[in-house]
Amino acid sequence: MNNFFKLVYNELFKIYIRKSTWAMYIILAGIIIGVGFLSNIDELSSKQYSDDNWRETLEEENQELTKEMEEAEEDGIFYDMNSNIIAENNYYLENDIQPDGYGAMQFVLENQLLLSLVSLLTIIIAAGIVANEFRWGTIKLLLIRPITRTKALLSKYAAVILFAFFTLLFVLIFSYIIGLIFYGFGSFNPHMLVDDGNGLAYVSVISEIVPAYGFKLVNLVMMATFAFAISTIFRNSALAIGVAIFLMMAANPIMLYFSDRAWAKFILFANTDLSQYTAGSTPFMEGMTLGFSITVLIVYYLLFMALSWAFFTIRDIAGQ
Amino acid sequence: MSNVAMELQDVRKSIGKKEIIKGLTFSIYKGEVFGFIGPNGAGKTTTIRMMVGLMELSHGDVLILGNSIKHDFKNAIREVGAIVENPEMYPFMTGWQNLMHYARMIPGISKERVQEVIKLVGLEKPIKEKVGKYSLGMRQRLGIAQALLHSPSILILDEPTNGLDPAGIREIRQYIRRLAAEENVAVIISSHLLSEIELMCDRIGIIKNGELIATQTVQDTNTAETQDIIQVQMQVSPMNQAVDVLKTDHALEAKSEGETLLFQTEKEKIPEIVRSFVQNDIAIYQVNSSKSSLEDKFFDLIGENTIE
Repeated sequence: MNNFFKLVYNELFKIYIRKSTWAMYIILAGIIIGVGFLSNIDELSSKQYSDDNWRETLEEENQELTKEMEEAEEDGIFYDMNSNIIAENNYYLENDIQPDGYGAMQFVLENQLLLSLVSLLTIIIAAGIVANEFRWGTIKLLLIRPITRTKALLSKYAAVILFAFFTLLFVLIFSYIIGLIFYGFGSFNPHMLVDDGNGLAYVSVISEIVPAYGFKLVNLVMMATFAFAISTIFRNSALAIGVAIFLMMAANPIMLYFSDRAWAKFILFANTDLSQYTAGSTPFMEGMTLGFSITVLIVYYLLFMALSWAFFTIRDIAGQ
Repeated sequence: MSNVAMELQDVRKSIGKKEIIKGLTFSIYKGEVFGFIGPNGAGKTTTIRMMVGLMELSHGDVLILGNSIKHDFKNAIREVGAIVENPEMYPFMTGWQNLMHYARMIPGISKERVQEVIKLVGLEKPIKEKVGKYSLGMRQRLGIAQALLHSPSILILDEPTNGLDPAGIREIRQYIRRLAAEENVAVIISSHLLSEIELMCDRIGIIKNGELIATQTVQDTNTAETQDIIQVQMQVSPMNQAVDVLKTDHALEAKSEGETLLFQTEKEKIPEIVRSFVQNDIAIYQVNSSKSSLEDKFFDLIGENTIE
């Protein structure tokens, strides 16, 4: 077992020693700083209600918003947005809860959108981790060690998952730091209002961060495993990156196109977004349940892994 | 039979319907340097890939110190260090990082051992540089270092002197000989450079079209040659007359290449031939003789260098 950790260490070493990996992190950091900077200009998110007369602040805000709504046309985006904010403000006033100001924690929650970037980076790593060994010719020296091919492949897969995990941690921690710099600490366990389908509910931001990131992780792991499988089968990283990213981007149009077919619910992408089963959301198709989606996901996952394993362990390592 | 390091038992390999290795059976002994030669496409690299488990055997087995590469891969491969084709390393890592990478894959290799091996192949200076900047010779040395890390009983080197300068070749040759003699390592070398094989190896196996057509010790070929016929090159004038004289007086077939007359005969006959030339007023400018080398032997055995 100790041996396996050394193999995983080797794989991670090969990932993180390369400058291209660090370039990815620098781009990611740049985007987080950029998002922090841009939303700092946006005054709504930077409102603070820390002083004692927060009730007056809220009422003033409501009045302003109502005035805006009267001026603007009905049914516009503005109209909806403003009436949402008024509803939230009223909730605070009615229940006598002092709203938490926008802080680092809220910023982290908003950055859940960056998880698609984490997916992208993980796909790039997953697509290269086997194919590159073939391209460099190092696969020969790698497989003439007293290690079974299954173990070698598993160590590579484990390294991909760990890379995704580290990158996710990086996004969380770096977002929090940037949030601290731009918005301050806020409070230790800030709360916010969420529409859970039965009206507004007052919940902790952290309890929102966990599922928000968690649901996106499902998609991340599935796409990374898919890219890993393509990379192992075709030994071509460009192909694996291309196919995986195309499918990730095209998932929604594909699902829309097939949405009237009965078998569409068996397509991987109909099931990767598990948040469709949370309160206030409707599943992609009638009759789909959380259990169904999890089963479909497991079947796809096992299929990807089995294909990778079969191609990696059985094939001859011949010359280029 | 404890003296056998590696044993090939009727090893065959078919790709599709074509059989590219047609039943190789031979053994390599501890402490011997075995040269594996053959024309391009003869199946050298395929055989080496099967020896180290990179390719599956269609038939037969390879035993490494008695362990089957098919059924007991881990224990068999533990005793093997190899370079298969080019010594490819991770170009974005330093030599040291490359070696540590492989060291981690086999239990029980200390940093001291890695340093020892680096010293052995003479890479102390560039070891902290990225392999991408290495010359072919440096990469070849690093490849050998990588193969030696775990002190294997069998060392398989594909074209080990490729890209090395003459001094490097001599160094590696001496090192390989020492490994065999002192550490009792069995070394398998494949090469196209026949003179290299001749200098380095105790025994050679010649492979052609997937079949082993001969194995013999290098001493054999040398001693056989001295007793037998030698190659004679003479610069004479006029050429036609010389060819005639050889034919009539000595019953020898000769051919002329430019100003050089070429023929084969026994060493004892040379003075006699010179005398008859002088008697016939043929001017002699130069007389050379060379014993037929492994190269000639090789071409005798394999015929044309063709890929089928």
